Amino acid sequence: AEPEPAAAAAPAPAAAVPAPAPLAGPTAIRSANILTLQDASAEPGYAEQSNAQRAQVQPGNNAPVWRQVGQGVSGTVNMPYAEYGTLIQPTVQYPGTRAASAGEAWRQLRNQVLLPYGAALLLIVALALGLFYFTKGPLGQEHPPGQGQAIERFTPFERAAHWSNAAAFLTLALSGLVMAFGKFFLLPVLGSTLFGWLAYALKNLHNFVGPLYAVSLLVMIATFVKDNIANRADFQWLLRAGGMLGQGQVPSHRFNAGEKGIFWWAVTIPGLLLVASGLVLDKLVPGLDYFRADMQLAHMVHAALALLSCALIAGHIYMGTVGTRGAYRAMRTGYVEPGWAREHHELWYQDIQSGKIPARRSQSAPAKPRVPISVNPVSRSNP
Amino acid sequence: MARMKFICDAERCIECNGCVTACKNEHEVPWGVNRRRVVTLNDGVPGEKSISVACMHCSDAPCMAVCPVQCFYRTDEGVVLHDKDVCIGCGYCSYACPFGAPQFPGQGTFGVRGKMDKCTFCAGGPEENGSQAEFEKYGRNRLAEGKLPACAEMCSTKALLAGDGDVVADIFRTRVVQRGKGAEVWGWGTAYGSKPAKPQGDAS
Amino acid sequence: MMLTRKTTRGASGAAFNGGALVQRLQHGLAQALPTMDRRGFLRRSGLGVGVGLAAGQLSLVRKAEAAADAKTDGARKIEVRRTVCSHCSVGCAVDAVVDNGVWVRQEPVFDSPINLGAHCAKGASLREHGHGEYRLRYPMKLVNGKYQRISWDQALTEISDRMKALRAASGPDSVYFIGSSKHSNEQAYLLRKFVSFWGTNNCDHQARICHSTTVAGVANTWGYGAMTNSYNDMQNSKVALYIGSNAAEAHPVSMLHMLHAKEHGCKMIVVDPRFTRTAAKADEYVRIRSGSDIPFLFGILHHIFKNGWEDQAYIKDRVWGMDKVRDEVLSKWTPDKVEEACGVKEEQVLRVATMLHEHRPGTVVWCMGQTQHTIGNAIVRASCLLQLALGNIGKSGGGTNIFRGHDNVQGATDVGPNPDSLPGYYGLAEGSWKHFAAAWGVDYEWIKAQYAEGQMTKPGITVSRWIDGVLEKNELIDQGPNLRGVFYWGHAPNSQMRGLEMKRAMDKLDLLVVVDPYPSATAAMAAMPGDAADLNPDRAVYLLPAATQFETSGSCTASNRSLQWREKVIDPLWESRSDHMIMYQLAQKLGFDQELVKNVKLQQVKGQDEPVIEDILREINRCVWTIGYTGQSPERLKAHMRNMHAFDVKTLKCKGKVVDAETGYDLSGDYFGLPWPCYGTPELKHPGSPNLYDTSQHVMEGGGNFRANFGVEKDGVSLLAEDGSHSKGADITTGYPELDHVLLKKLGWWDELTDAEKAKAEGKNWKTDSSGGMMRVFMQNHGCHPFGNAKARAVVWNFPDAIPQHREPIFGIRPDLVAKYPTHDDQKNRWRLPILYKSLQQKNVEEKLHEKFPLIMTSGRLVEYEGGGEETRSNPWLAELQQEMFVEINPATAAARGIRNGGRAWVTSPTGARLNVQALVTERVAPDTVFLPFHFSGRWQGKDLLEHYPEGAHPIVRGEAVNTATGYGYDIVTMMQETKTQICNVERA
Ligand SMILES: Nc1nc2c(c(=O)[nH]1)N[C@H]1C(S)=C(S)[C@@H](COP(=O)(O)OP(=O)(O)OC[C@H]3O[C@@H](n4cnc5c(=O)[nH]c(N)nc54)[C@H](O)[C@@H]3O)O[C@H]1N2
Ligand SMILES: Nc1nc2c(c(=O)[nH]1)N[C@H]1C(S)=C(S)[C@@H](COP(=O)(O)OP(=O)(O)OC[C@H]3O[C@@H](n4cnc5c(=O)[nH]c(N)nc54)[C@H](O)[C@@H]3O)O[C@H]1N2
Ligand code: HEM
Ligand code: HEM
Ligand code: SF4
Ligand code: SF4
Ligand code: SF4
Ligand code: SF4
Ligand code: SF4
Ligand SMILES: [Mo]
Repeated sequence: AEPEPAAAAAPAPAAAVPAPAPLAGPTAIRSANILTLQDASAEPGYAEQSNAQRAQVQPGNNAPVWRQVGQGVSGTVNMPYAEYGTLIQPTVQYPGTRAASAGEAWRQLRNQVLLPYGAALLLIVALALGLFYFTKGPLGQEHPPGQGQAIERFTPFERAAHWSNAAAFLTLALSGLVMAFGKFFLLPVLGSTLFGWLAYALKNLHNFVGPLYAVSLLVMIATFVKDNIANRADFQWLLRAGGMLGQGQVPSHRFNAGEKGIFWWAVTIPGLLLVASGLVLDKLVPGLDYFRADMQLAHMVHAALALLSCALIAGHIYMGTVGTRGAYRAMRTGYVEPGWAREHHELWYQDIQSGKIPARRSQSAPAKPRVPISVNPVSRSNP
Repeated sequence: MARMKFICDAERCIECNGCVTACKNEHEVPWGVNRRRVVTLNDGVPGEKSISVACMHCSDAPCMAVCPVQCFYRTDEGVVLHDKDVCIGCGYCSYACPFGAPQFPGQGTFGVRGKMDKCTFCAGGPEENGSQAEFEKYGRNRLAEGKLPACAEMCSTKALLAGDGDVVADIFRTRVVQRGKGAEVWGWGTAYGSKPAKPQGDAS
Repeated sequence: MMLTRKTTRGASGAAFNGGALVQRLQHGLAQALPTMDRRGFLRRSGLGVGVGLAAGQLSLVRKAEAAADAKTDGARKIEVRRTVCSHCSVGCAVDAVVDNGVWVRQEPVFDSPINLGAHCAKGASLREHGHGEYRLRYPMKLVNGKYQRISWDQALTEISDRMKALRAASGPDSVYFIGSSKHSNEQAYLLRKFVSFWGTNNCDHQARICHSTTVAGVANTWGYGAMTNSYNDMQNSKVALYIGSNAAEAHPVSMLHMLHAKEHGCKMIVVDPRFTRTAAKADEYVRIRSGSDIPFLFGILHHIFKNGWEDQAYIKDRVWGMDKVRDEVLSKWTPDKVEEACGVKEEQVLRVATMLHEHRPGTVVWCMGQTQHTIGNAIVRASCLLQLALGNIGKSGGGTNIFRGHDNVQGATDVGPNPDSLPGYYGLAEGSWKHFAAAWGVDYEWIKAQYAEGQMTKPGITVSRWIDGVLEKNELIDQGPNLRGVFYWGHAPNSQMRGLEMKRAMDKLDLLVVVDPYPSATAAMAAMPGDAADLNPDRAVYLLPAATQFETSGSCTASNRSLQWREKVIDPLWESRSDHMIMYQLAQKLGFDQELVKNVKLQQVKGQDEPVIEDILREINRCVWTIGYTGQSPERLKAHMRNMHAFDVKTLKCKGKVVDAETGYDLSGDYFGLPWPCYGTPELKHPGSPNLYDTSQHVMEGGGNFRANFGVEKDGVSLLAEDGSHSKGADITTGYPELDHVLLKKLGWWDELTDAEKAKAEGKNWKTDSSGGMMRVFMQNHGCHPFGNAKARAVVWNFPDAIPQHREPIFGIRPDLVAKYPTHDDQKNRWRLPILYKSLQQKNVEEKLHEKFPLIMTSGRLVEYEGGGEETRSNPWLAELQQEMFVEINPATAAARGIRNGGRAWVTSPTGARLNVQALVTERVAPDTVFLPFHFSGRWQGKDLLEHYPEGAHPIVRGEAVNTATGYGYDIVTMMQETKTQICNVERA
């Protein structure tokens, strides 16, 4: 950064350029064509030269400046706005993309990796669930109500937490998926004006429901975390792949390993990360600069996890509805038949039987039954 | 058909912001939204270069590719435009654009940014050419009036060239040969691919 | 995936194809490019603004629509008015598109040979003037610290009553008029006349604090104190030395020509304490210490003389006294001394000298870096000496290209309110007064009676020191009263030094009148509370809304001396009135309106009488002979504006035969804008002078030679040019004195005058012959120059330093150099006031100010803002580009003070001022120097003055004014203020 150019450099161009038109005088410059000049790369330290030094050996070769630009070096701008100094985003490369300017690389990752693979994942999951349903049908037995004294599986609070969280998630998923894929399946149907309005509405819904989801997610985690800690029974469950292998259901506590898996790997961990990245995308985290690079990163995390958790939650929803007999009622009413409990969560059922866990936990629920509820074993074999 | 492009000649640009202001004036762009800006590298030391940058109207435009509502379109002249009625203000185009061209009137809290605005190459938008609605949303449509972008027309040193890619490349080449230096065409690789001299087809 | 939904086909269905756009591109670039044939597409002259104006397009003009609604007839009028940017002396032309009285669009004028459609940020934002949201809308008066709306009549009545009272109590010299370089030539001229009829020489304008040292120094060297060549002519230069000019920011469009020249091999050298945007374009950048230009220039001259590179034949023929300079430079400015004083190593000085020697013709460009010093007059002469030694003056591609400041500072200097001269640099001697009394059609005795005894021929106080006119002890002032009333008629307060004292002076006044579209800096400064002891309880402050130059018409003179005509774009906004209307109306109240407009018709503007601008210009044409403001009739100027395409970009000359379609005026041979001197009557058809003193051209083709203005001999040596050195085709081939009736008779050419001419010319010289006949005969018939043919003066014996001497500034950081190069002795009376030099400098050294304030504080321009900045900071398009006042500080200096880029800092100065500004940590400045832009106002030592502004009329961006912190220091010849070398310290805030 010495303002005075190195004195010795003045004669250098002539030496470095043996071409018939040396860069000495103005007339020489005029007729010299840069395309025909021999390059000065033999100069010591050529590659490390600053633009000023380069100008001495190769007048007008601004490669050092353009290199800086490519590296995302920020220049000076008068206006006090973020990133105005960046001419071109620096080059990056993500798995599955070419090395390109960050925005372009992000575009490639989104358009060529996240969206297609995400879409594929979702389609595969849908297909698999459908196949599963048609080959295996709903799991478990029917446990018509009234066969015993119902057990309170979810308190009203737990249900409220679940459903608000579920509603938020579904809203987010739906709106998010429209943002991600709407232009492929909705736009051609609705046309751009209508689709524009829809997408606009959903996008804003997404942006505002996101923070709500964040709250409900925390409540949800707090509510259910206790019963989702892994224990020995879960190994059993996993070893038998949740009952797919071998005979009958695998005994489990209140939640089986599959549900725990959903809890941790489809809800808690991706949820927290989705919330975190979503809050960044929403520019709600104080103290962040929200540069484009931050947004790209947040978006990639967000989109990847969103698609992943959509796929997993799709599985959960399947299991919570048509996939398992009686599960949905549990979450809707809060109560399960003792038979259902024994069938699906035998260990939990035993705990209730032994009084370790009260059968009714909520205040609003009917008073606790004094005698352990007995289940008629016959009902199992006699539908 | 002409393929519109920009060149900013770094050997000439003096960071006078004439282009930036010309744009503001012509399109009455509000405070905080700048379709064009001037960046100086190596500020204050020998080797300093200034560059005026706006949307480059890329051949394979990243903004266009990521827009969730596909509100971008390209004119016959290769100008990348968008439809503000459809835009949902998601900001994706600004993440994708290598040049930071897309601008938003809002801050983006809760994702509320308002409709994206960017350089239109002074070619307006989807509304009827020269209509009031077009002006209010996109500024003037100079191309339809037979004029070139205001920024380039008013550039104080003619550093900023705008127009048919072949013509501006020719002008630039003439200068380069004349002065025997400064051959880099800034941003062309990123915006138009690796062969700067040849305009790319629209169908990319 | 990508759609092609729309093509850009014209709404009218017509006229769009790629071809038309290519044409337009070429049109825009042609003259800047060697490869494009401009004429080829000029044939398509239909292309341009017209194309866009198919009726369908216009519906988009929202604002115009609103205006149209207001009118019942509904008829729309769309017009294109050609005007000129009002922000700097480059003089870029603009086409304003006006729809029903509303300025709706601005189009580049590709045809302008000066700017070819190009604009910097300021020019590109011109249309904002047509909206002016932050302007003053009606007259206001300060009542109990707040501005209140009053009527025009009340304002004019109260102001004139106050003036009359001051006159009765203290005489006419108690009122001071600060005019404006923003006024058109006609307004500036009328103001000088107005002030004379009021009876004082206490008037001035921006040129004082801008190029006064140039004007004095250069005029005294060779004749006229102006830019010798033109921006365009720089295309012919082989080397350009910018010393003290940051053209890329201050004259951006001039760079169009320079960069073009560079592409053709011209070498560019920039000498500046800062690495500026101009330096970024240089082949060679030289960093000097602020204020040390003479050591550097003489350092170059040392090598030139030592190597015998001076143009000896040229010097022999055309320069007087160079031998003395040579001796001085060779003995005094040896490389070691040069390096000690300016910090530049011998090898670099030699390299620059070699470049100048090897590339001729070369030009020198300077601006405020040279002029704004206590030795400004000497620095500019040192530059002249360099060019004279190289033989570069009077040559195309050479010359001293002195970039002027405001859009019409050249014109206001030429014909406007100067304290020491009448229009055209006619001195204040009785003869001049009589010349003008005759031209104005008033009685000389009447004018004389308006003045206080003996004051008519005495130069007035300068704008740089009006505050001393208020604050100085009465017995030390060379006029009866102290100043009690001040008019700020188109001038900012934050552009003059010593802000703290200015506040005191403002408070002491009886009358302060601000006539300005944006009077708010002065308004806020006057309204903010100061020291209660200073406040005159009787003070009256008025704000009058002036119209801008777009709300009237008139001529303005660009830096290259070309005059351009501005058409009126729109009617004055709100209640504002044009300056000449205000002058006329005030004269009515003061009782000399008849005298003021004796030769001028009146026209109605928004229901009020306004003097007709064209008539004022015609009056100028009839009397300003000295500098050739006589040939530029309104008709000729307008024809030039209509036919800009006719002029060549490199030479400014009309190409071939071009006839104005509207008037039939034949432009052939004319230079664009008839650059003054354009001698003789308009009928003589002198083409104007593109390059001054150019002997290779006939005088009737703009040629000339150095002026015989200093007698014919000095110390027994002739001052006239050597034999054989004369302008092309002159009948007198030796040197000759200036033309008067005696000379003409002696030469036997008297009888070539008509009888009518003879009657008027008898007893007169070329400057006072109101017939123009002597000039006609001398020039047209004999090819001789009316101002004679003499040598340039290398030694200006009538100046305190006949040969330029380096002297250290009053406030400096180099006491060691003060000992070697001390400043002048204190002066008892210069421009009616005493002035301090050595006593203050010594005191500063003794108090070791350089230890407390170890940084050189220099100031200057940002491209986005202009002058005091009230106008440009009120323009949202510009304001967004510079939102904070800042100080440029070197990384090392900042680090030592814990200051970070973007952080806040206090700039403190010896005056006790403290400025709160943002730090811009940058290598642009050396560790011992800081730079502050001077365009800010509206914050005062950490306080926002918003509440003191007239409601609604405050600039968008406010910041500390650097001049709040500047101290003392004035050029001994002109009272130029030392704004470029002050001292300060910077602390972290
Ligand atoms: N954008 C813009 N343009 C303008 C104006 C404006 O306000 N804004 N004003 C117009 C006016 S009124 C004028 S007078 C011109 C002024 O135009 P310039 O004089 O070119 O502008 P400045 O920035 O005042 O000063 C020029 C340079 O002088 C350098 N300098 C300081 N001290 C010294 C010194 O001792 N020696 C030398 N050699 N250089 C020194 C400064 O670092 C600065 O870079 O600009 C005109 N154009
Ligand atoms: N520290 C420091 N101080 C400096 C300088 C520096 O470099 N450093 N530079 C100096 C120089 S070179 C100059 S020229 C001065 C410039 O400083 P000023 O000339 O004082 O500043 P401007 O803001 O240009 O003042 C022009 C005023 O005229 C008003 N105006 C515009 N058009 C019209 C019109 O048509 N009629 C009327 N009545 N008013 C009009 C504008 O609103 C503005 O208020 O500053 C000087 N001061
Ligand atoms: C329509 C959508 C949904 C339905 C029908 C549904 C149904 C159910 C049902 C029936 C249960 C109880 C299962 C049992 O009794 O073991 C349950 C539990 C649960 N659901 Fe859902 N659910 C839905 C959506 C969601 C969503 C979107 C989430 C989270 C993002 C979610 C998270 C949970 C959690 C955390 C549990 C508790 C199980 C555990 O903690 O392991 N559910 N859901
Ligand atoms: C947990 C469920 C969520 C799902 C399934 C989800 C899904 C998605 C999807 C698919 C996208 C579109 C990605 C693309 O088009 O490339 C998206 C974008 C986005 N999401 Fe989410 N998201 C969820 C949660 C959140 C949360 C909790 C927040 C905020 C707190 C949030 C904020 C955003 C934002 C700001 C965007 C960017 C798009 C815009 O601004 O409109 N999301 N999300
Ligand atoms: S420069 Fe940016 S906004 Fe413009 S076309 Fe390219 S990617 Fe899109
Ligand atoms: S902000 Fe608008 S234009 Fe940009 S990607 Fe989103 S919807 Fe498309
Ligand atoms: S082309 Fe038009 S819209 Fe784009 S930056 Fe230039 S002036 Fe603005
Ligand atoms: S107008 Fe031209 S020279 Fe000025 S900043 Fe823009 S591109 Fe650069
Ligand atoms: S400020 Fe000067 S250079 Fe800029 S547009 Fe106006 S006249 Fe031209
Ligand atoms: Mo100036």
